[in-house]
Amino acid sequence: MVDDRPRDEDRLVARAKRGDAAAYAELVHAHESIAFRTAWLITGSAAEAEEAAQDAFLKAYRSLKRFRENAPFRPWLLAIVANEARNRRVAAARRERLLLRAQEAGVARDRSPSPEASVLEGEQRAELLAAVERLPDRDRTVIACRYFLELTEAETAAALGCRRGTVKSRLSRALDKLREEAA
Amino acid sequence: MTDLHERLSALGDDLDWPPTPAFEVRVPQRRRAPIARRTLVLAALLTLLLVAGVAAAVVISLDGATIEQRDEPRPPEPEIGALALGRPIELADAPFTPLVPERAGPPESVHLRDGIEVALTYPPARGRPRSRTNGLGLLVTEFRGDLHPDYVGKIAFQGTVVERLRVDGERAVWIEGAPHFFFYRPPGGQLEERELRLAENVLLVERGPLLVRLEGAFERDEALALARSLRPA
Repeated sequence: MVDDRPRDEDRLVARAKRGDAAAYAELVHAHESIAFRTAWLITGSAAEAEEAAQDAFLKAYRSLKRFRENAPFRPWLLAIVANEARNRRVAAARRERLLLRAQEAGVARDRSPSPEASVLEGEQRAELLAAVERLPDRDRTVIACRYFLELTEAETAAALGCRRGTVKSRLSRALDKLREEAA
Repeated sequence: MTDLHERLSALGDDLDWPPTPAFEVRVPQRRRAPIARRTLVLAALLTLLLVAGVAAAVVISLDGATIEQRDEPRPPEPEIGALALGRPIELADAPFTPLVPERAGPPESVHLRDGIEVALTYPPARGRPRSRTNGLGLLVTEFRGDLHPDYVGKIAFQGTVVERLRVDGERAVWIEGAPHFFFYRPPGGQLEERELRLAENVLLVERGPLLVRLEGAFERDEALALARSLRPA
């Protein structure tokens, strides 16, 4: 999980709303990784994700006046980033299917007690990832948001541009399909 | 698969995420500088560009063009003066095949500047009011990729909207809320103050090897419609 929420976010937001660019830069820096990854999941392209995130950071700054103080900043920012990413995906007309890949062996975190178990676990992870890959785009995205990015339900709803209830039902269906796929 | 949730969460750690870029967060300051200071800041900024040749606070880049959002207030309104568009030519004499916006019809005049920049002028028309800065309804300027200056830039001031777009799948930038400076440095040459002029709303569009600038007092939709109607002359 990309857990980079600053400790004093409310104060930073208040300062940024008063026009403190340094405070805003600190806010963006705290969330740039999750913002970029969210955009990447939506656009399927690192270059498009970078542009989407960069533009979204500027748009968010210009919209700060409308941001309700003491509200969580991250879902609000992610909604802007995701919207920008979706616009780019639409503008691109076609989208390369996002290929989720595991890191090279040895780089991935090894949680197994023995080499044999490690190999087995690696295979299981690869199978699970392949099963996720075979899911329709909408199902893959909701799983990626909730589990890979570890976004909250509200943040996932913001990123996908839908209601929380939709996230729940979509995720439930996606997990059912995944169980079938991996059975 | 009772542990599916845990396994999915663990998978997130193992994914080969692309590295997060180093984002430059450059946002306009909301406070206004005193008028006397504005002149100094502008002079310092231009000096910096002359010396460095490359803007430090790049917000948006196209091939051959860079747009920089600056914290500074807008400069004073410009006076309408003679446009330095180069010598008049016929479309057929351009050093490359220029793109002409069919929506605007045939240009009123065609110019070639420094052998690298083709400019097309159009009188005011419906949806394209007279520009305060050049008196035209539409000014189109074009560079070819292998001929364009080694550096093309704009400085957008406070209150200027800079929006990145796609026009027919190709990259574009809409700059609204001008005036802003436009400048360029010919290949191997020095950026000179006389190259500076003030522009109004501008849509910069990439079209294959060409970088096309549509400039005028028109709205964004009109600019996009003009860009979509660009055809080889």
